[in-house]
Amino acid sequence: MTASSGSVVRSATSPAAAALPGAAPRWPLTGAIVAFAAFLLWSVAARQALLFLIGVGMGAALAAARFGFTTGWRQLVEQRDPRGVVGQVTLLALAAMLAMPLLGAFPELQAALGPPSVSLLVGAFVFGLTMQIADGCGSGTLYKAGLGVPLNMGILPLFALGSFLGSVHLDAWLGLGAMSPVGAVEQWGVGPALGATLVALILVGTAARGWAGWRQPWIDRRWVWGAVALAVLATLNLLVAGQPWGVVYGFGLWAAKVATATGFFDPAANAFWSQPGHAQRLAQTVLLDVTSITNIGILAGALWVAARERASAAPRPLTATQWVIGLAAGFVMGYSSRLAFGCNVGAMLSGISTGSLHGWIWVPMAFAGTLIGLRVRRRFGF
Amino acid sequence: MMMTATPATPATSPRRILRLLFWAALTAFLLWDVLGAPAIDLRQEPPLIAAGSGQAASGGHCSMPGK
Repeated sequence: MTASSGSVVRSATSPAAAALPGAAPRWPLTGAIVAFAAFLLWSVAARQALLFLIGVGMGAALAAARFGFTTGWRQLVEQRDPRGVVGQVTLLALAAMLAMPLLGAFPELQAALGPPSVSLLVGAFVFGLTMQIADGCGSGTLYKAGLGVPLNMGILPLFALGSFLGSVHLDAWLGLGAMSPVGAVEQWGVGPALGATLVALILVGTAARGWAGWRQPWIDRRWVWGAVALAVLATLNLLVAGQPWGVVYGFGLWAAKVATATGFFDPAANAFWSQPGHAQRLAQTVLLDVTSITNIGILAGALWVAARERASAAPRPLTATQWVIGLAAGFVMGYSSRLAFGCNVGAMLSGISTGSLHGWIWVPMAFAGTLIGLRVRRRFGF
Repeated sequence: MMMTATPATPATSPRRILRLLFWAALTAFLLWDVLGAPAIDLRQEPPLIAAGSGQAASGGHCSMPGK
């Protein structure tokens, strides 16, 4: 955990955090959030307004519970503390129990199906490595930026740039070897797919507990309520948007728009961005993009949580070297997230909960990368 | 891990200025995007809830391959 995020986490978990003197009132921010939702409702689409509010809920849940995928993995490896991973397994199980029956009932809903490929193997490994240095995955970077953590605010635009470049090169990466996406719900049906997913998740949770030691505390209220809230919100996202929760695509789209507008990029000459769906989203406002709107909501939700924590202790500043390493890691993380067909949200949570094989490939590769990333963190004194 | 913290920051602290710059940049990007994009056709508005609408999802997702 970086100095920046560490202090934020500590202040938030303190019972006195909300009562600290100097905490800002939330009503101006609440008003701004409601006004933006009303603008979306009036000028864009009712669905986008609803998705923005779902995103606000996601950001508030992530920030208030400090539901950090990166932190949970790190605590398991470094402190033999399984509570974060058990919380994540709980989230995956709840989300799968909600999402898979919906996928079976409503054929218009889509699973997060990424292709098993060389790109996925390399991307997930590098993503797991860099997310530990950057101290945040896709959702973690978002909510920490919303909380005002300096490094994560700096990383966000570089993450977007990396994500864009990853999408530009994705066709070449897929040329190294890929197979068609595999969806368990499609292949086996809802019951067997859900049963197999839950069994696999129980095995993962049990392995984490066993490795940490059976006497270690393994349930934490914060992680559990965070898991429940995020599972419900992810399911609402699926119902409303018709597709699972994702983070990375929106960032790549933002950078692609800037690159196109400034003349640095010709989408018509690129295999990814010349596809009709991507080209259409590139031509229209990002407010019509599903992932962009939930990303904005997550930032706003985290800022809403942070409004009550203004008086918390400021983080110890990072050194120049730590800034350079952290920002570079954020850029590579964005690039690798596209190669991996998602981050902890798009590939792990959405992939596994909707029965995609690529989610199950993503997890061990990213965890292997995390083991290296933790060494790099220590090397640079994060 | 570096968990050391310094005392609370004043309103003009670099951290607070950075936060203001961050939100200003995001707002500027969204304004630039909305003002430069084609007008939204509200008649083509998607259904409020995709589930049960009969319309396949058309949004972008990070699991989408390039081919």
